[in-house]
Amino acid sequence: MTPPQRQRRQPAEKAPPEPGKKPGEGKIPERLYVLTGATEDGDRAELDLVTLIVARSDAPQSATPEQAALLGLCIAPLSVAELSAYLNLPYSVVTVLLTELLTAELVQARAPIVRQALPNRSLLEAVMHGLQKL
Amino acid sequence: MVSVQSPPAGRELPYARVLLPPAIVMAAATGAAVALVAGPARIAVGWCGAVATLLVIMTAAEAVRRGRNLRDARAEHDRHTAYLERRLADQNQEMVRLGQEILPATLHRLSSGESPGEVIRQVVDADPEWRQLPDPQRDLLRTVLRIVEREENMRDSAQRSFVSIARRVQAIVHQQAKELREMEEDHGRNPEVFDDLLRIDHGTALIGRLADSISVLGGGRPGRQWPEPVPLYSVLRGAMSRILEYRRIELHSIAKVNIRGISVEPVIHAAAELLDNATRYSPPQTKVHVTAVEVQTGVAIEIEDGGVSLSEESRARAEGMLERAKAGTDLQDLGESPRLGLQVVGRLCATYNMQISLRASAYGGVRAVLIVPSEMLTPGTAPGLAHGIGATAMPKAELGAVDGPKRTIKRRRPTSPRIPASVSMEDEVPEVTEWTAGGLPQRRSRVKVPLAQRYAEQAAAERAEAAAREARSAWGTPEPEPEKKDEPEPGLWVEAFMEGLKGDPDPTAFIQKTEPARVEADDEGDLK
Repeated sequence: MTPPQRQRRQPAEKAPPEPGKKPGEGKIPERLYVLTGATEDGDRAELDLVTLIVARSDAPQSATPEQAALLGLCIAPLSVAELSAYLNLPYSVVTVLLTELLTAELVQARAPIVRQALPNRSLLEAVMHGLQKL
Repeated sequence: MVSVQSPPAGRELPYARVLLPPAIVMAAATGAAVALVAGPARIAVGWCGAVATLLVIMTAAEAVRRGRNLRDARAEHDRHTAYLERRLADQNQEMVRLGQEILPATLHRLSSGESPGEVIRQVVDADPEWRQLPDPQRDLLRTVLRIVEREENMRDSAQRSFVSIARRVQAIVHQQAKELREMEEDHGRNPEVFDDLLRIDHGTALIGRLADSISVLGGGRPGRQWPEPVPLYSVLRGAMSRILEYRRIELHSIAKVNIRGISVEPVIHAAAELLDNATRYSPPQTKVHVTAVEVQTGVAIEIEDGGVSLSEESRARAEGMLERAKAGTDLQDLGESPRLGLQVVGRLCATYNMQISLRASAYGGVRAVLIVPSEMLTPGTAPGLAHGIGATAMPKAELGAVDGPKRTIKRRRPTSPRIPASVSMEDEVPEVTEWTAGGLPQRRSRVKVPLAQRYAEQAAAERAEAAAREARSAWGTPEPEPEKKDEPEPGLWVEAFMEGLKGDPDPTAFIQKTEPARVEADDEGDLK
């Protein structure tokens, strides 16, 4: 009577070690939408996977456990992807939580430092000069 | 019978005794007539008188005999009537006993699952007083029991089929929920897909609660088992996730207790039904406040809404509904009452020994208090904390899933004392830390210089730097580049070097000065 099982897509190659590794799976009664509940959907700040997040203050009393955990983790700057991994929450949930924290001005988001696609011109010149000196 | 056949005898009886003296009078009259009439007629008159007297006497005798018979018959009849009345009274009494004592006793035994024949043996034959139950009553009893049993079986099978359908729905919903969770993880990076998935997830949870309700009302066990204790906060959020308007629920101060694994599901379900009632019967813009405090007998979960206040009458009705539900409701009764929730809560409370009370709230609405008995709590810490995160404690200690980054603390040597605000953080120049003798920039990791030499160079550089630092009073003035500056040829690379220094991308430099032990983000490696 049960419908056919869905095959997971990406982790298919890495699947075998996972079942034992994920003891928390399915043991949490709350669903993810409760975590993101306070805001209506589609209401997210512009956050990238590599946006760095820094806490600006301690967690207030009214914060949910997830937000408190986020603030605790963000004492040192962490990227959104890292937060998502540590909290074991999907990226979209973390961005919603962070949006709430950003509007409450409890955290600060910072655009990541993009590694330049091309090396700096002056550096190249320096290399050139160095080579010429050889 | 006799009296019925001879109704006129009853009328003759009073005359019977009276007829004997008239016979004597008749004889006397005959004698007088004989004496009075003339000689030749005397004999004839005498004969006639004698015959008449004889006839009267015979008639009287017969009348008396009949009268006596009649009296006997009447007495017999009275006795019989009395006997019959007594029999009737006895019969009535027996019927009363059958109805008020034997039948309830046997039905009670029957409801505990014994067959009718067994029940009659156990109840009727075992009792010395009831053993003489007449056969017709015995038959009646057997028939009644058989009918009741058949009805009971039919109702049971109907309920069982309800429950088994609900079970299948539950199974599908659980699998769906599990897969949705996986999909949410798989597509977590796409907000649009993710939000849609959450929407489906929510709808699935609502279906699941309905299936759970049917199962509970049908007398089934809870559909899910939670293998490990779950903190009350998570349990309440689990209850929130099963109702439509979970956004209106506000969890305030929740006692830090953990619910035993096997009791998690009933508590979630009961709380979900109460929360659903609270949100359903209060204005859509109001909040529903939930608190949980520890009390002597366990934990009291209070759910207050800002809806219509509960009048004494409606409160009595609701409590009556709860009481009836505790006693056990048939699925058939539910057609009339759309308020499925209280029935379910009543059933759960009866099964799991929880207590529920409804009162008027200080907010003007209803305040439902659900007391979870202490048997359902567990003193130990729950491993399955709120999404793997401690409710209040430092998250690091309780990150169950992944260990925090274990990295060596990087020693920071700020090459530039302050990052000027004007400097753009946009680009990062590869960190040039060492220079070959020929002036070539070199990355440390790729260095091919022997280690000893590198150490020596490093030590020399550090010594020089330390000396320079001591020479300077404050960090405010940028360090001059004394020895490199006068080298004429690679003038351009100095510029590059300076830019590299100025554009030091590390934003954690400030924080690291105050918090050296914290982890850094930038040497974590690949994130994906």
